[in-house]
Amino acid sequence: MILRVLEVTKTFSLGGSRFSALDNLTLFLSEGDFATVIGSNGAGKTTLLNVIAGTLRPDRGKVEILGQDVTRWPAQRRAKLIGRVFQDPLRGTASQLTVAENLALAAKKGGRGLAPLLSRGRRRYLAQVLASLEMGLEGRLGEKVAHLSGGERQALAVLMATLTRPKLLLLDEHTAALDPANAEKVLAITEKLVAEHRLTTLMVTHRMDQALAVGNRLIMMHKGQIVLDLDEEEKRRLRVEDLVGLFRKVGVSDDALLLATNDDGEKGMMAEEAKKLAHLL
Amino acid sequence: MLFLGALEQGLIYGLMALGVYLSFRVLSFPDLSVDGTFPLGAAVAGILVFRGFDPILAVLGALGAGLLAGAFTGVLATRLRIPGLLAGVLTMIMLYSLNLRIMGRPNLPLLGRPTAFLRLSQVFAIPRGWEALSIGGLFALGLALLLFLFLKTELGGAMRATGDNPQMVQAYGMSPESLTTLGISISNGLVALSGALASQYSGFADVGMGVGTIIAGLASVIVGEILFRPRGIAWHLLAVLGGSVVYRLAISLALRYGATLGFTASDLRLVTALVVLLALAAPALRSALRGETG
Ligand SMILES: Nc1ncnc2c1ncn2[C@@H]1O[C@H](COP(=O)(O)OP(=O)(O)OP(=O)(O)O)[C@@H](O)[C@H]1O
Ligand SMILES: [Mg+2]
Repeated sequence: MILRVLEVTKTFSLGGSRFSALDNLTLFLSEGDFATVIGSNGAGKTTLLNVIAGTLRPDRGKVEILGQDVTRWPAQRRAKLIGRVFQDPLRGTASQLTVAENLALAAKKGGRGLAPLLSRGRRRYLAQVLASLEMGLEGRLGEKVAHLSGGERQALAVLMATLTRPKLLLLDEHTAALDPANAEKVLAITEKLVAEHRLTTLMVTHRMDQALAVGNRLIMMHKGQIVLDLDEEEKRRLRVEDLVGLFRKVGVSDDALLLATNDDGEKGMMAEEAKKLAHLL
Repeated sequence: MLFLGALEQGLIYGLMALGVYLSFRVLSFPDLSVDGTFPLGAAVAGILVFRGFDPILAVLGALGAGLLAGAFTGVLATRLRIPGLLAGVLTMIMLYSLNLRIMGRPNLPLLGRPTAFLRLSQVFAIPRGWEALSIGGLFALGLALLLFLFLKTELGGAMRATGDNPQMVQAYGMSPESLTTLGISISNGLVALSGALASQYSGFADVGMGVGTIIAGLASVIVGEILFRPRGIAWHLLAVLGGSVVYRLAISLALRYGATLGFTASDLRLVTALVVLLALAAPALRSALRGETG
């Protein structure tokens, strides 16, 4: 088992009241799982990725990677096991450094020696890797990343995040800020790299078609819980309309949920219902 | 004579400007502790020479004190999460008292005492009258080269990325907090070294000699950028040294000829601050003129 998130709760206080962004959530990922994650705004998707990556500490529960309890590890220590790409292309790269320097930092993950960042050998290797993106970036190794377009930057960020073949790849709506053509390109690059390195991946997306087309597992989150978890077979049978319907169903239950806040039984039932629904479809 | 003096000062104070470049430009950390670490360097080196230690050893002692003081500011800002500006001010204020304690008096005369300039120019057999220029230049260019080589290492690259995007640095397994602390430490080491050499150059150490260091440093960095438009790190470091020389020359000229315009030495800081203000506001002013907002 690559990842085990065990009964994790993360509560934020909001204007005096407290609410759970993650509510006793449990999730296992096996080697080679490529799970897409959907869920309405505020469902807790980003919070889940933050807890896994270590930029947020859970209030309760445990995070295990490769069987090791990493709950207390700081983010930079977990980084050796995890690759991450954010929604904002600006977040994944350093704009004042060159393309080559960014890649070299990613390749030397956690390295902090006094060796030159760019040796001739490493430069040649990085040019090769960049050429595999087929975006013509290999000729722009010496250029500042600030000069790249959003799509080029995000493609670079995906390449950087996968360069050291992390045990786990976390993608948070990483194509959402791009225009459709670039989003397609970056998604294609992501699928290619994930397949090539057989990376275990958790990909948050707000696009139902993407969630269905990509990966071999589908997870739906709602109010800090996983309300739907489909395997490859179930996922293949699902169409976008079915998914939208499921989404509505969960959304409609909101009122009922509001009447019975903190009634875990009710939420649990809802999850069961969604699961049953999925099988009916 | 005026030009030679400005060149000498530009190189000696250029070390301080390199330090400010590292904190302000590389780490995007406006570090005010330099107003305290510049006289700290002067105080530590001054008292060591005063007590009869070798002036080169005294300069190294100043470097060490600066590294420590900078690390202190770094820890305040990153581990104790005190806002960067305030962390610098706290260090600066503490150093004011500390510098007085180190020297035991507000002013320490060093005229007639051995200096690192004299000692080193004996080693390199430098003719009389050229000690300050050659040894100052050796320090400035030597440390600029070291800084350049450092910024091109893995560690230095990570430090540059920290000023740019700390989240990315963390996502790639390094601690932006540690990198910032290390950078601020190195920066203040350079500033204290500059203070030590400046005191040996001018023949005294004074607790008040640090006031306005940050502004002078920023002015050097910005003047260098505007005049030389450097591309790449190596040129940027040289431009900072060039900016420092131009800045010292401008001050010498102002002091020499300013009187005829009714300008006195006490107006110096006002003018310097106005120059820095204009340079920092230039991007905003330019877009305001073009009618852009935000
Ligand atoms: N640092 C924080 N402090 C307070 N509340 C937070 C914090 N981070 C997240 N939240 C809240 O937690 C809830 C879950 O947020 P999260 O970002 O995980 O949602 P999400 O599923 O990623 O939504 P989106 O699709 O909009 O990105 C939201 O209501 C959000 O406002
Ligand atoms: Mg989110």
